[in-house]
Amino acid sequence: MTAITIDLNGVRIADDVEPRQSLADFLRERCGLTATHLGCEHGACGACTVVVDGKATRSCLSLAVMSDGRVVLTLEGLRNDQIMDILRRQFHECHALQCGFCTPGMLIMARDILQRHQSPDANTVRHELSGQICRCTGYANIVKAVVAAGKDLAAAQAHALAGALAEAEALIQAEVQARVDDQVRAQEDAPPKPGTE
Amino acid sequence: MADHPPADGWIGASLLRKEDARHLLGHGMFVADIRMPGLQDIAFVRSQMAHANVRQIVKPPEAAASVFTLADLGPIAILEAGPELAAHRHSPYPPLADGRVRYAGQTIAACMAPTRAEAEDLADRVTAELEELPAVVDCVAAMLPDSPRLFEHWPDNAFITGNVTEGDPPALQAAPVRLRRKFRMNRQATVSLECRGVLAYWDHRNDELTVHLSTQGGHVMRIAIAQSLGLPEHKVRVIAPDVGGGFGGKNRIMPEDIAVCAIAMKVGHPVRWIEDRREHLIASVHARDHTYDLTISADRDGTLLGVEGDVYIDAGAYSLWPTGSFMEASMASRNLTGPYRIRHLKLNTFTVATNKAPMGPYRGVARPGACFAIERLVDEVARELGREPFDLRRQNIVTAAELPYRTAAGMRLDTGDYVQALDTARDMIDLPAIRKRQEVGESDGRAIGVGFAFYTEQSGHGTVEWVKRKSRVVPGYESANARMLPDGSVIIHVGVQNHGQGHETTLSQIAAHELSIDPSRIAIKYGDTATAPFGFGTFASRSIVFSGGAVARASRMLIDKLKRIGAHLMQTDPANVRIEGGEVHGPSGSVGFAEIAYAANVRQEHLPAGMDPLLDVTATYEPTETGGVFAYGTHAAVVAVDPDTGTLEILDYVVTEDCGTMINPLIVDGQVQGGIAQGIGTALYEEIPYDEIGQPLATTFGDYMVPCAPEIPTVRMAHIVTPAQATEYGVKGLGEGGAIAPPAVLANAVADAFRKIGASFNETPLTPRRVSEAVARARRARDDAA
Amino acid sequence: MKPASFDYVRPKTVAEASVALGRKGVNTAAIAGGQSLIPMLNLRVAFADLLVDLSRLDDLKVVTRSPDSIWIGALTTHAAIEDGKVPDLFNGLLKRVAGQISYRAVRNHGTIGGSVALADPAADWPCCLIALGATVRVVGRNGVRVQPVSEFVRGQYETTLSAGDIVMGFDVPTPSVPTRWGFSKVARKSGAFAQSIAIATALGRSGRVNVVLGAAGPKPRALRTVAEELEGGKSGDELRPAIEADLAQVAPGADDYQKRMHTATVLRAIRDMRTQ
Ligand SMILES: Cc1cc2nc3c(=O)[nH]c(=O)nc-3n(C[C@H](O)[C@H](O)[C@H](O)COP(=O)(O)OP(=O)(O)OC[C@H]3O[C@@H](n4cnc5c(N)ncnc54)[C@H](O)[C@@H]3O)c2cc1C
Ligand code: FES
Ligand code: FES
Repeated sequence: MTAITIDLNGVRIADDVEPRQSLADFLRERCGLTATHLGCEHGACGACTVVVDGKATRSCLSLAVMSDGRVVLTLEGLRNDQIMDILRRQFHECHALQCGFCTPGMLIMARDILQRHQSPDANTVRHELSGQICRCTGYANIVKAVVAAGKDLAAAQAHALAGALAEAEALIQAEVQARVDDQVRAQEDAPPKPGTE
Repeated sequence: MADHPPADGWIGASLLRKEDARHLLGHGMFVADIRMPGLQDIAFVRSQMAHANVRQIVKPPEAAASVFTLADLGPIAILEAGPELAAHRHSPYPPLADGRVRYAGQTIAACMAPTRAEAEDLADRVTAELEELPAVVDCVAAMLPDSPRLFEHWPDNAFITGNVTEGDPPALQAAPVRLRRKFRMNRQATVSLECRGVLAYWDHRNDELTVHLSTQGGHVMRIAIAQSLGLPEHKVRVIAPDVGGGFGGKNRIMPEDIAVCAIAMKVGHPVRWIEDRREHLIASVHARDHTYDLTISADRDGTLLGVEGDVYIDAGAYSLWPTGSFMEASMASRNLTGPYRIRHLKLNTFTVATNKAPMGPYRGVARPGACFAIERLVDEVARELGREPFDLRRQNIVTAAELPYRTAAGMRLDTGDYVQALDTARDMIDLPAIRKRQEVGESDGRAIGVGFAFYTEQSGHGTVEWVKRKSRVVPGYESANARMLPDGSVIIHVGVQNHGQGHETTLSQIAAHELSIDPSRIAIKYGDTATAPFGFGTFASRSIVFSGGAVARASRMLIDKLKRIGAHLMQTDPANVRIEGGEVHGPSGSVGFAEIAYAANVRQEHLPAGMDPLLDVTATYEPTETGGVFAYGTHAAVVAVDPDTGTLEILDYVVTEDCGTMINPLIVDGQVQGGIAQGIGTALYEEIPYDEIGQPLATTFGDYMVPCAPEIPTVRMAHIVTPAQATEYGVKGLGEGGAIAPPAVLANAVADAFRKIGASFNETPLTPRRVSEAVARARRARDDAA
Repeated sequence: MKPASFDYVRPKTVAEASVALGRKGVNTAAIAGGQSLIPMLNLRVAFADLLVDLSRLDDLKVVTRSPDSIWIGALTTHAAIEDGKVPDLFNGLLKRVAGQISYRAVRNHGTIGGSVALADPAADWPCCLIALGATVRVVGRNGVRVQPVSEFVRGQYETTLSAGDIVMGFDVPTPSVPTRWGFSKVARKSGAFAQSIAIATALGRSGRVNVVLGAAGPKPRALRTVAEELEGGKSGDELRPAIEADLAQVAPGADDYQKRMHTATVLRAIRDMRTQ
């Protein structure tokens, strides 16, 4: 047994694990986080994809011991994530899941894609989704959902940016105004210079 | 994907799925997600050899109690599987090997430990002494008199042989065009992304064996478990939680299921077996593996006359309960005329035992092979006659005026417009434009080809059809139990099993339509034999027809009672009331379902005198015509092929299909696209080859290619809607259709790309090697001739 | 599908790692990204008593540029190269190769060192590094050695590594003139290992040409006759006899289809190189 500490979905977990235990089994069997699925256990299906230190990772091809000290995010930990919210909505609206077994891995990978590509087109999404097997949907709606989510995200970011800019401008305006006011006040308050009268 | 006009009611509405939320949050509950105190894992010792006598099984002494052989499981009844036909030979398939193993991967012993890893350690320490026997791996050679036998007491290796003779086949000898072709559709796996899994324990409080099973039909599995273990059925509860795809592969009782249940009864704590991908590929349900040797006859004018020849099904080592794989041969041969006016048929069928994993159903069952064979033959005749294959199809296809039409093999094609489906596909793919493009040629040296294929999909077939097939289980009906709760919300229990099809959504739409309430007020429940009425599960494109019908009927029974109570409350005659918006309306006012339901459940003093309380009804349903209703469609594809590497790109893929009335077009499109993806897998990627000593050569996803997003195009779809006459709302089943035509259409497209040199593409999957070799062969033949 | 038991250490220095890996009587294995080793352990086709985790050795993560070469530390991931975190002085070849290996989640962890150390005949990096004339630096119990990758890789899953040896990284000579290259691969599906992989490189318009073919024999090999003919000005179909001659050397067991396929990838790589 080897002692490890992992920041898992924002919670510090300390545990002793068998070196051979995969990160996937650690998440599922020790931590009870079963959103992460196993579809092949040899790296070819993507059902087990999680985020380790910000990177999409096959949890079946990582050992729990190797994740010691890392920050791990699973779908359970992305409940309040802006990109995931958008993806979930688009997956639902585009009918991008049937049995749902591939879905957690797909979502994690889709989020990774949207973090690396601004508003990706369908070809980019297809290429980037390679290695994520979905046996039910035939992928078309998954691709559609990710593309749509990319657009939504860009719009949301543009909106947020515009909002932030407006806010900043308002702040600056206020600041400038305040300074002007200050100056005016300073001038008004300033004792008359001797000899000017 | 297609554009759909908005619907004005729940039938035909693209309602977003109720199933999605839990999966999108990672809250799906699959068998492997269930946690139980004291749970232990099972790993199996499997045969390394294709065919051997088991001499001895040596358990590690320190862990002998955790290793189970057949003898340790206690008395197990081996169920007879396959059709109820005297001619079908019995192939007893024990949960763990008796004295013989008949395929590489067969279970020999079960090892139990607190974790799967430790169970595998234990399995590695068990020695199975095997005495190798000659393996039978080629199903045609297996029928030769000197072939080794799988079962000594059988006179040959056939599970069953048969023949179909219609019309006047001897007359075909004189036909002006006779072409003989051989086709192979190779063996593959079903590959649900969730592998199989079973978790069992004895529930002391309920005094029953509880079995969580990743299955397509819990009630039918319960029959097998109870019979195998000698338990009365009321002491077995089968729960199918979320099921991560099935496609046929989870519709048979498998040896591991029985072994795990038997062990659970011995050990007194929960045990589970979670199939891993290697086990799935070597020892789960295998599929297809058809070999055809066919001669098609035609007139010079292109009229197709008849098909003769042999159909071989390599069914593997055992029949799987209940039905085995005999349907492959009968369905393949009965579908071999396709939608064409072919009146003469003479087919010999052989369902052969070999030393390979047992065969079971897989999306499309038999028809992908039959469609591949007949659609390739049509193209070959066209080429022989110098005709456009599309035109030959159109010339021979059954027209709308001829429907309903009895095919030579006795299938009753019911409704639709096949010519319209063909023409629409031709227009969508723009055949003339492709022909022009071909004349110009491609700058990158690739060859472009266009292919068409037509399929029919028998769906919603009931008693008549299954009895004809001599099925051990006759899934001739479905059932629904509908309850209106005191607040007017509704729970409907059904006997089918959702594993991706969206029944929670579509069946609630049907109930919503009948009950005039919002689908959000209706919950569809399934997957637990303790609560669901008896039903057969989800397979054979039957759920929307059967379960949809049962839900409609149960809803109407509720309505009937709601009306009677409502009328009573409004003091009017039931004949004077109607239902709208979740209320019963009378001549002067209305009363809501909630009020009625409250009375029926909780305040029965408000009920009419003598009326039984409760709004709780159970209905069964079978369509009026039980030979099945036929969905159909045309697929067309354009491919670009590199003759040297044999690699292939799908440039365009279109479908026109008719599945009758669509309850939820969004889900229909999803089923079509998903089915086509699997069909493309069969056509181009997926294969489990065996070597000459019976070793499977694709045991991981490193060798077994499952197409991913870059391999699957977004299919362009058009829907034709011809409501079926025999079903509720005119629905037809459609789950399988997408998977039927892709091998045919893609092989036809590749053949079209090389039609000038006469290359033939008659074996799936069309791997780069097969494609390139076929081109090279044709080029050599042409050069030799020149 | 779970691995058999093993012990695990995570040494802090390369020296410690080398000692751990060289322990007598113990079946040890280095693990870097684990993207090849763990599947093999899971499938129980590879076994180890002791896994030595190299993945946090900073000495193996160095990427530096010198006037005439670039050093790529063994732990550099495919994804890092794909994302341009390694200066690509070869006109984008490294990025191109990296970006199509397997799948992104695998590329995030799989390393160039692990890929070459494993020496899968169908892998991408050995082929690419041989084409670029790279050398590998190995640290072991007997000190440091530097070897051309073409010699380091001896055959199918076979290298000159012995117990206690660690691949530190690769020195890739950088050209004084812009490199032109072509890359062509046949695989059964996206991200799958190659059935055939060809990389052609040329220094400038008329400089030295290198054509390497992978997945054809036990290891990627340079096609010397083809290179000579190319330098001599031949092109397109004129090269077929030379390819045939080289294939007889580097892929003696190839059947007709494989010859056709390899010929096609070689010709395509050359064509792409020429059009750059
Ligand atoms: C589904 C899938 C598809 C793939 N497809 C491709 C593909 O198309 N092309 C391709 O090239 N690769 C492919 N790979 C392999 C991938 O590129 C691996 O990342 C790579 O081969 C090994 O790198 P690693 O760091 O993961 O090595 P590991 O798995 O950690 O190690 C591999 C081997 O190298 C040894 N090793 C590692 N680092 C060192 C070192 N510094 N010194 C000494 N020995 C060392 C290990 O002991 C082990 O024997 C695929 C992998 C998967 C899972
Ligand atoms: S389970 Fe990890 S990639 Fe399939
Ligand atoms: S929805 Fe079933 S595998 Fe993707």
